[in-house]
Amino acid sequence: MLVTVHFYSYFRELTGCGEINETLHSGDTLGVLHDQLMARFPRLVTMRKSTLLAVGVEYQTRDYVLRDGDEVSLFPPVQGG
Amino acid sequence: MECRMKKQLTITTETINETDLIATRTMSVGMGAVVSFLGVVRGIEEGKAISAIDYEAFEKMAQHQFNLLFEEMAKRWPIESVRLVHRIGVVKINEPSLWVEIVTPHRGEAFAACQWLIDEMKRVVPIWKKTID
Repeated sequence: MLVTVHFYSYFRELTGCGEINETLHSGDTLGVLHDQLMARFPRLVTMRKSTLLAVGVEYQTRDYVLRDGDEVSLFPPVQGG
Repeated sequence: MECRMKKQLTITTETINETDLIATRTMSVGMGAVVSFLGVVRGIEEGKAISAIDYEAFEKMAQHQFNLLFEEMAKRWPIESVRLVHRIGVVKINEPSLWVEIVTPHRGEAFAACQWLIDEMKRVVPIWKKTID
């Protein structure tokens, strides 16, 4: 299955892109995707613990099971205000 | 209580005009408190002089997360109205980046709700800032 991944804030600099498509196996979780992305973009590893994960407009945890076509977002801690 | 709360959310690249916002305030006769907060870009960030902050939002998610916070506020306090404006894009020092207004019957809940909303915004609403030297 295919999901789209968006990077926000300085995660764009860490990965060198704002958006990619990523192929996963059926039943893979957000955690599997995160690990796959850290393997591809090693600069994300330093932010592993503070990375926020969202699917659509909702925050999700690493055990969230992804579906084909999901829009995933990875970003650092937020700083509004 | 919660279904009556008026909500107004604006995420904008336009300058925040506090005078215009105050002029459009509405309050029913049972309301006795208005707390408003203006967040302004400081000229010093982490000990270093800056000229501006460039705010970025994941706008669709930011709107959704703000609305979740508004729903939670309506459950916690007897709020008649909440209005919030957040600038995105480049905001120069001394210019406001955030304006919040809460209208309630009494001051205690207005102060508490305003503080809570801003604290939660800084925890969950996907907006980031990048300083500009």
